[in-house]
Amino acid sequence: MIDLELKQVSKKYRIRREAEKNASFLRKLMSWRNQRQDFWALKDVSFNVQRAEALGIIGHNGAGKSTILKLLSRITTPSSGEIMINGRLSALIEVGSGFHPELTGRENIYLNGSILGMLRREITRKLDSIVEFAELRQFIDTPVKRYSSGMYVRLGFSIAAHLDPDILLLDEVLAVGDAAFQQKCIQRITELKKSGTTIVFISHDLRAVQKLCDRVILLKSGQIEADGDPTETIALYESSSRNLHAQTRAGAAQEASREAVVTSLGFYDDEGKECLSFRTGMPMKAVLKYKVYKPLVDVMFEVQFYSQEGRFYSFFTSETLAGQIDLQPGEGSIVFDCSAVGLGPGVYFVDTGIRNRSAPFGIDIDWCRRCLAVRIDYDRHLRDTFYMPYICRHSPPTASITEAKDEDVYAEGVR
Amino acid sequence: MIVTPTATLPRDRHPRPIKIIRPVSFSPLDLLRELRGLWHYRDLFYTLTVHRIKVRYKQSVLGLAWAILQPLSLMLIYTVIFSVIAKLPSEGAPYAVFAYAALLPWTFFSTSLTSATTGLVSHSQLVTKVYFPREILPLTYVSASLFDFVIASSFLIALFVYYGVGLTVYALYAIPILVLLTALATAFGLFLSAVQVRFRDIGVAMPLLLQIWMFATPVVYPLSAVPQRLRSIYALNPTVGVIENFRRVMLQGVAPDLHSLATSAIAAAILLPLAYLYFKRVEATMADII
Repeated sequence: MIDLELKQVSKKYRIRREAEKNASFLRKLMSWRNQRQDFWALKDVSFNVQRAEALGIIGHNGAGKSTILKLLSRITTPSSGEIMINGRLSALIEVGSGFHPELTGRENIYLNGSILGMLRREITRKLDSIVEFAELRQFIDTPVKRYSSGMYVRLGFSIAAHLDPDILLLDEVLAVGDAAFQQKCIQRITELKKSGTTIVFISHDLRAVQKLCDRVILLKSGQIEADGDPTETIALYESSSRNLHAQTRAGAAQEASREAVVTSLGFYDDEGKECLSFRTGMPMKAVLKYKVYKPLVDVMFEVQFYSQEGRFYSFFTSETLAGQIDLQPGEGSIVFDCSAVGLGPGVYFVDTGIRNRSAPFGIDIDWCRRCLAVRIDYDRHLRDTFYMPYICRHSPPTASITEAKDEDVYAEGVR
Repeated sequence: MIVTPTATLPRDRHPRPIKIIRPVSFSPLDLLRELRGLWHYRDLFYTLTVHRIKVRYKQSVLGLAWAILQPLSLMLIYTVIFSVIAKLPSEGAPYAVFAYAALLPWTFFSTSLTSATTGLVSHSQLVTKVYFPREILPLTYVSASLFDFVIASSFLIALFVYYGVGLTVYALYAIPILVLLTALATAFGLFLSAVQVRFRDIGVAMPLLLQIWMFATPVVYPLSAVPQRLRSIYALNPTVGVIENFRRVMLQGVAPDLHSLATSAIAAAILLPLAYLYFKRVEATMADII
């Protein structure tokens, strides 16, 4: 049973550039139309949500999260595409935006409740429960302008928590109130979920998303980047948001005492584009850049891959180079060129660093733990865990035996 | 202790409405569907109207008296200017009651328009956060002004008693006239508030516009004072018929002038659906531009 369905939904915004300050009025008027620029907040987004499923939507600012929220809650309409909503939908967005400071708590319950789509008799029926949940019994006839911010938020959430919808849209609301109240909110949402409410949760709070959702969609520049298991999708998001550069630079004071640091690590596909998602059997290139402060003798570079459970899977190492690596102060880079990724599908965490070959294990010149996550997807030539690069040659039982050129068959076999 | 809200009722206790959201393509056929959606939100309309009235008079010493004071002070000013100084005709009635009988419906019309026009923009917080049929906002301003009208009417009755003006059976015409005036206020309120979302100039221009509009309507002078040759153009103003006839049936106690009343009625019948359609068109992307 599908409760929510988005079919190729796009949303375009018009951005109007300000005219040059000293342009004449007439010129401003003439260029009125040309000053518009289209910005696609969402582009051809399609997904659906099953009944009683809890879907999380994550992504960086500007990825289109709040646009989806606005479309689903009917605040704005799509530019193209179609949205199907099966059931009563309520959005729990920024609690308290419908409060009026002069009115009492009780009056505000009626006001806010009606704005959220409740009927008066429904509110009257639930009034006691709302007041109880918000823990505001003695202040309910006080104007809300006398409320503390915590009381304000509690009342807001309490009203929304009593909406009792078929589909519930959640914003960053869980980030409010004290810990005890937050706990209560999560419990309430879990309860709603158990009773069969479909939930769409849009948030930056990855822990809450992980806890609450059965499925997570990662948005990037208005398009779906990943859709699936919460752990995997969140890992992918985390890796893209974590900046290795910033991480290693975190302690500037520390840096001075260092002998060398890894300044960046990037993965590239066969077209030379930086990317974090590959297919088994596809080429992959890792480029590690570093900076040396003091002369170093006999060092090695490594890039290690771990499964989500923390199991060590594979690695690239500079040990494959012939000869000893000695470094002089300055900047350098090292490239690991892999012709075919052997890892099976999944998300892998990456460690990288510089070590002194003679130093005991664990003493590193610089080590970045779990600095990136790489996603590997299925390819049609992989059946199970490992991929072994191979070249296939065939001798058909015809008169003349011709050997195919290696490169051709290889390319055929991989893609 | 964790208090949880009343147990959730079993699912599928109510029919699940299926809603399809598509890009804007508003046709007159959708009008009925939209009105049905509006009916669904009648509780919000009621709550917001009560809210407007409450908020307006909370923390004010004079409270409801303000509803009377507004037309009353205007009446006093105009009486001094137009009766004592300029000596305008008032069709036999004392000028004070003559002016008040027209200022009463006019104040309703003008406050409806002023408050409804800025109503959407001043609720931008709400409009960008929650969905509800947006026309409810301007509509509640009109109905709150209607409430003020009722309060201020009591003073008209007091004036009638003081000046010994007796009501006739024609005073009952005031009811359909008032309905017509509400329809006009709604039509203009919807249209102007939708325009205001994109062009804030409207809100700034409103006081001036209403000032001009008032002098183009028989409020401080009788319709009969308008030269005959200008009458046909003058009558195109839809508020002429309602304001003039309201005073006629209340103060003079004679039958309304059906010609001018019909003009207003036709105007309302055309403008109201048009304004609503325009409003719903703007509504679709209102949250993006507000």
